[in-house]
Amino acid sequence: MSFLEVFQYSRIDSPLHRLDPRSKLVMVIVCSAASLLFLNIVPLLIVLSCLVPLIALSHSLGRWFKSMRGLIFLVAFIVIFNTLLSSVQYPFSYSIALALRLIALMTSFSLFFLTVQPDHLSQALIQMRVKFEFAFAMSMAMRYVPTLGQEAYAIMDAQKARGVELDKGNALKRIRNTVPIIVPLIIVSIRRALLIAESMESRGFGSTHKRTYMDRLYFRRSDWLVVAVSLVVLVFLVYVRFILGLPEWMLWQLPF
Amino acid sequence: MIQLEDVSFSYDGVYSALVGVSLQIDDGESVAIMGNNGAGKTTLVKHFNGLLRPDHGRVIVNGVDARRRSVAELSKEIGLVWQNPDHQLFLDTVRKEIVFGLRNLGYSAEEADARCDMVLKDLHLEELAERSPFALSGGERKRVCLASVLATEPKVLALDEPTIGQDAGQKLRLARLLQDMNRKGCTVVVVTHDIEFVIENFPRTVAMSRGRIVADGKTSSVLSDSNAIALCSLSPPQMTVAAQSMNRLFPEVSPRMTALSEVEEAIVRILGGR
Repeated sequence: MSFLEVFQYSRIDSPLHRLDPRSKLVMVIVCSAASLLFLNIVPLLIVLSCLVPLIALSHSLGRWFKSMRGLIFLVAFIVIFNTLLSSVQYPFSYSIALALRLIALMTSFSLFFLTVQPDHLSQALIQMRVKFEFAFAMSMAMRYVPTLGQEAYAIMDAQKARGVELDKGNALKRIRNTVPIIVPLIIVSIRRALLIAESMESRGFGSTHKRTYMDRLYFRRSDWLVVAVSLVVLVFLVYVRFILGLPEWMLWQLPF
Repeated sequence: MIQLEDVSFSYDGVYSALVGVSLQIDDGESVAIMGNNGAGKTTLVKHFNGLLRPDHGRVIVNGVDARRRSVAELSKEIGLVWQNPDHQLFLDTVRKEIVFGLRNLGYSAEEADARCDMVLKDLHLEELAERSPFALSGGERKRVCLASVLATEPKVLALDEPTIGQDAGQKLRLARLLQDMNRKGCTVVVVTHDIEFVIENFPRTVAMSRGRIVADGKTSSVLSDSNAIALCSLSPPQMTVAAQSMNRLFPEVSPRMTALSEVEEAIVRILGGR
C-alpha cells in the first residue's frame, strides 16, 4: 500500500505548503482536468512534465518516487489487461496512455493532499460556507485513514496467528479469507466512532452554535496568482482540446 | 525452545524497534517481558511466530530456523494472545470463534468441538458459549481470545498485556491458569506492565528498553535493580520500596527485596525475633 503515501500530509515548509488550501484546490482541479482532457501519450507526458516540477516545489519528490514505485504493480496490471482486452486499434499504446493518465491524476491529487494540513482543509471548507459539523467530519475522516490502516495490519497479524493464510488458495478462498479481516475492522471502527462521539460530547462539542475560530485563512497575492494562472490554463486547454484540435505530432501513437 | 540470536528489526528502516536482541527461552519456563512503552516488547513477541521476520539475526523455534516456516505452521506451536480482543473476534458465537482457529490449524470438526468444550470449562465460559462475542464485556472478550488460543494447546503461550481490564479475581484466576499450563509443560511468556503480577507468578524477567534487553534474570534481582527499573520506567515494587526505606534505617537489611515473605522476615529479624 506504499503508493498511498503520496496522499498523506507532509509536515514541511515549501512554497506550495504555504498557499491557501482553496487556491490549491482550484489548481488541483485544473491539473486533474488536464489529465482527463487528453488520452494520448504526448499530451499526457507534457502534463506530467508540468506536474513533477510542482511536486519538486513542494519538496516531496522522494515520497512521490516511493509512491510511484508502489504503483508499478497496478500500472503493469492496467497495461497488460487493457492490451489484451481492449478493442481499439493500438491497444498497447492506448494502455500506456491510460497508465499515464492514472499517474497524472494521482500526482495532481497528491499535490493537494501532500500540502494541505487537515486542519486547514476543514477551515477552508468552513470558509467556503460548508457547515462546521460536515467540515469537521471530513477532516476527522482524513485523520483516521492512517489509523485504520494500522488497525488493519494489527488485525491481519492477529488472524494469521490463528492460522488464517491470507495469500494462499484460489480466488474464492482468498475472498473468503478477507471476512476475518473486514468484520473486526468494521467492529473496531464502530466502537471507536462511539468512543470518539462520547468523548467529543463530554468536551462540549456542539454546545454553541456561534463558533469563532482561532486561525482564519486569508487569500494572499500569491493565491490569487495561482487561481488566475490555473483558470487561464484551463481555458487554454479546453480551447485546444475542443475547438482548435491537437496538432498532428501530439496524436502520435505507438504502432501496436 | 525459542532462541533469538542477535535479532535486529526496524519497521520503517529508520527507527530500530529491536537492536541486537539475544534471548533464549527454554521449554517449561515462565518468563515475563517488561519495559516502557515502545521498548519493543510486542515486536519481540511477534518474532516468535514469524509475524515479523528479523532484518538481521536468527529466530530458532524448537530447533528449526523460523525463516523456513510459515506463520500458520509456527502458530501450531506458539499461541499468541493479543492485547486487543477486538482484533480477532469476527464470528457470531463464542463457540464458533474458538473452533475457527482449531479448524485452521487442521483439526477435525469433532476434535475441535471436544477441545472447545474443554477449554470453555477450564475458563468458566460455558454459559457464554452460544453468545455473540460482540455482546460481551471487554474482560470477557479477552478471555474468549485466550480460550481460542488455549484450545490449540500450544507448546509456547505468549500473552500481550493479559491483565489489562481484568479485576482482581480474574487476575488471580488467570495467574492460576498460567501456572497450571506451566506445570503441564507449557512455556509461558507474558508481556506486561503489571509488576506485582510478575513478582507473584514469573520466576524470570526480561527487561527491555529502546529495543534492547537491559536486564535478564531472576525476577527478584531484575525488579529490585533500580537501574533497570528506571530504564524501563516501571515503578519499583512496593516491597522493594519498603526494603529500601528499611535499609536507610537498618543498613543490615538488603535493599533488594521483592517478595512480601522476605520483608516480613527482615522485620521479624529487626524486632529481635527468630
